[in-house]
Amino acid sequence: MFAQLAWRNIWRNPRRTAIILLAIFMGVFSMIFFAAFSRGMANGMVNNAIDNLVGHIKIQHPDYRSDPDISHRIDDPRSVMDEIRPELPDGSKIVQRIRVEGVAANARETAGIEITGIEPSKEKGVSFIGDAPIEGEMLEEDDEHGILLGAALADRFDTEVGKKLVLTTQRADGETQSRAFRIRGLYHAEIQATEKAYVFITLDAARKLVGNKNCATEIAVTLPENKADRALEQTVSKCKEALKPFNLSVYDWMEQIPAMKAYLAMFDMFLYIWFVVVFIAMGFGIVNTVLMAVFERMREFGLLKAIGMKPAWIIRMVLGESLFLLIAGCAAGTLCSLAFTWYVAVTGIDLGSFAQGVKMWGMSRMIYPAIDIGDVIAANAVVIVLGLIVSVYPAVKAARFTPVETMRQN
Amino acid sequence: MGDLKLAWRNIWRHTRRSILTMMAIGFASLLLVFMLSFQFGSYEGMIDASVRLSTGHLQVQAQGYHDKPEMRKVVKNPRKVMDALSRTPGVEACTARCQTFVLASSEDRTRGVMIMGVDPETESRVLKTSSLIRQGEYLSSDDPNTVIIGALLAERLKIGLGEELTILGQARDGSIAATVMTVRGIFKSGIDEVDRSTVQMLLTDFDQLFGMDGAVHAVVAVVHKLTEVGEIKNTVMQDDALKGLAVLDWMELSPGLKQSIQMDLVSGIIMYVILIIVVAFSIMNTFLMAVFERTREFGVMMAIGVKPLRLVKIILMESMFMTGLGLLFGMILGALLTQYFAGAGISMGGAADLMAQYGISGRMYPRLSLITLFSGPILIGVVTFFTALLPALRIPRLKPANAMKAV
Amino acid sequence: MNAVSASNVSKIYMQGDVKVTALNKVSLEVAPGEFVALAGPSGSGKTTLLNLIGGLDEPDGGKISVNGKDFANMSSGDLAELRLSQIGFVFQSYNLIPVFTAEENVEYILQLQGEGKAERKKKARAMLDDVGLEGKYDRKPAQLSGGQQQRVAVARALVSNPTLILADEPTANLDSVTGESLLRTMREMNQKHGVTFIFSTHDSMVMNAAKRLVSMKDGAIVDDKVK
Repeated sequence: MFAQLAWRNIWRNPRRTAIILLAIFMGVFSMIFFAAFSRGMANGMVNNAIDNLVGHIKIQHPDYRSDPDISHRIDDPRSVMDEIRPELPDGSKIVQRIRVEGVAANARETAGIEITGIEPSKEKGVSFIGDAPIEGEMLEEDDEHGILLGAALADRFDTEVGKKLVLTTQRADGETQSRAFRIRGLYHAEIQATEKAYVFITLDAARKLVGNKNCATEIAVTLPENKADRALEQTVSKCKEALKPFNLSVYDWMEQIPAMKAYLAMFDMFLYIWFVVVFIAMGFGIVNTVLMAVFERMREFGLLKAIGMKPAWIIRMVLGESLFLLIAGCAAGTLCSLAFTWYVAVTGIDLGSFAQGVKMWGMSRMIYPAIDIGDVIAANAVVIVLGLIVSVYPAVKAARFTPVETMRQN
Repeated sequence: MGDLKLAWRNIWRHTRRSILTMMAIGFASLLLVFMLSFQFGSYEGMIDASVRLSTGHLQVQAQGYHDKPEMRKVVKNPRKVMDALSRTPGVEACTARCQTFVLASSEDRTRGVMIMGVDPETESRVLKTSSLIRQGEYLSSDDPNTVIIGALLAERLKIGLGEELTILGQARDGSIAATVMTVRGIFKSGIDEVDRSTVQMLLTDFDQLFGMDGAVHAVVAVVHKLTEVGEIKNTVMQDDALKGLAVLDWMELSPGLKQSIQMDLVSGIIMYVILIIVVAFSIMNTFLMAVFERTREFGVMMAIGVKPLRLVKIILMESMFMTGLGLLFGMILGALLTQYFAGAGISMGGAADLMAQYGISGRMYPRLSLITLFSGPILIGVVTFFTALLPALRIPRLKPANAMKAV
Repeated sequence: MNAVSASNVSKIYMQGDVKVTALNKVSLEVAPGEFVALAGPSGSGKTTLLNLIGGLDEPDGGKISVNGKDFANMSSGDLAELRLSQIGFVFQSYNLIPVFTAEENVEYILQLQGEGKAERKKKARAMLDDVGLEGKYDRKPAQLSGGQQQRVAVARALVSNPTLILADEPTANLDSVTGESLLRTMREMNQKHGVTFIFSTHDSMVMNAAKRLVSMKDGAIVDDKVK
């Protein structure tokens, strides 16, 4: 009965109701889509960052982060890997690398780079290099003289596949060591800075270069996609436990890139501020519309009071009507934005026209909006709860009309 | 006068409704004034940071140096270029610079670094490296054979003030250049990339060591007003002293910065447009009611000889008064809010760390300008106008006799 | 030339799904300076006829002209122009502009005609004085009695020097004393300025005051006598 009355009342002036519903619809739509877009962008940034030789979990010498020198290495990485392997969820991938600063030079150019020694076949699905498009060939497992170069760096060095490049770095014993490598392939990365920063050789070649046959500077773990969020914390603590006898540090990705974590937190805050701002914009309209509806029905409310309806019931009635408005607007806005988001998420949004800016912040060129159920709930909650709160004002107005006053009005 | 009076008084027939409508408009305009000021302020901060830390507003280089920096691509006569820049109105200061990649070794560490040759007198007028010194002192022409190095690099090389740094590189003619320098100062810009890999030395030392023969790699200039960069660039390019050289502005020197500003601006504008649309629907009911509940009155006005289009005008005036008042209050409050934060600054909290990596300060200072003050409100005004126009256009279709029958 | 000429005028309304013939081929000629009452029960077509003569509505058949100007092919703007310069209206429920004072209501018409400010004020006040509202210039409609409001309406209708005034049941909402005094004022204006008056009424007092009485019934003129 009550619901039916409220529902019919809001359709007494269909045009006005339609307009305020449109306002709510637009607001909710924009909230949810915007949230999904932001999440998509943030996910892209996080994935790029994790891809960029970070991984979900990383094991390093405690001093390596502040001073990435070969003296801060992991000796006998095999045994460390054997130690933690049982602690990892099924489907996890684990790799060892040597990463040291070095200098690359050919006859034309000299540049500072990071020499990264990898086990080429194991990097697939772990870091960007395992899946990067490569001109020429990927390194072979036992290739002791081959090197992979970023396309941008090759351009700078004016070199190509098949030519030589000399790498120089400091050995474990402190001596400077130079060795010539032959370029096997040129890789392409999402971010040009990456192409200029890393050269890849095999782990064995790297070990030879630094003069230590059984070492790595890091062990990186990539969790299976579906467990990346939930299992992270637990796995990290299990690894820490397992590695107690070793003098090593274990980091999750957020610890590795703390700026990103802070940035994501700001993202959240910004999103909720945006929700409230959009609500305020529509809130004025909601109050105004309910107020108009109430004033038009002054006589009716006066009459209801005259026949003995309590003010509290009138308040309830008006709030009920505005609840219907809010729910109808929110439902329509939510459904349409979800549909639209899914539609857009299939193809993604191409930010190609801002390619340089996108790269600067480590974002992906393609944004795939991602719906977070929490955001959807938050957007709806903000609109419905705040919408009801602001409707109290016209509701109380309606409850205050006295029968005599309303008769005089017309 | 009569029409204005009529429109003005009509607003106050429904004080509550009109005030709520004006508040919605005011809120939107306040927000836009503040947000645009904030955005533009932060852009200026970003550009300034980037310009003052590394690129300058303008650089004169050899053709092709920017795309592929090579030792041999030089500006042969920097004096002439600097003179030309100095006499161009709007240029604040300029300095000449060389740079190349070398191996730098301390006693037990070796790293590849970018070494720059700078002239401390002119350099400190252009860039703020001198103010970034954390230990020791900035370069001085009285103290040759010294370098200043980035803080992270100092850590990695395990080197301190007064200690010796061996530099090994390739001279302009391809021969080997090697020397030993003393660390005079350690600087920290906050940008890890810079602090990890930069060494600065005197331009004269650089010249000698690498056999530059008076040539440099870039002449870096800053200007008084950011907005004049394009104009100054054009003027400078005409100068005979720069014949055959490339002039690059900050946008070309750091395209990522320019595009991230564009991207931020575009996403901001999309959000503002969404907000304005929501506000437009939110206030549309007021304008609609102003027409619908007065149908009878319009009939009467037409009966006494008011032309339909004049009625439309009166109704629009009414809406525009409301809009104008809302915008005015929004602009005043927005300007006050902006001015307050322009003094106090806004902390970016946790994002500050990330931003520091791009040389951007963790405090943002919104900046009020004619553009930020007016562009938002004007956009709102235009949208509101059309929102009001829609219902008002019903008026000419009214038949006075029918209109007067309306309640 | 007749002040008003209506020939074979018809008007049909749709009321829901039912066709209602409000006027059925009515013809009426009114000479300049006449003081005519349209009498008849409600629904007889009086108001419809007045609306058509004032150009507030379009006939479904027939021809109407005022002062020799044929309404056919006139735009709504032209009609408004014509009303402004030549026709004054007085309504049953006064219909003053609520946010204007008495003086402003009258003055507004003059402003629409493009009169200068000083001239407007003088004329508006003189007209309000004429209808007996000295000193009430600054009152808003809500602060005036029904009779006073209707006087403002008459002043408003007359101030533009129209040749024709159409009054739709002007006394219906007034008590008899007020109504009579208003009627006297209208008659004075008719004599003083030579303005043609046509008013609809079912008030016998008004009918008695009229110089010509046109009786209507069911959308047709059934009687037309000059006293």
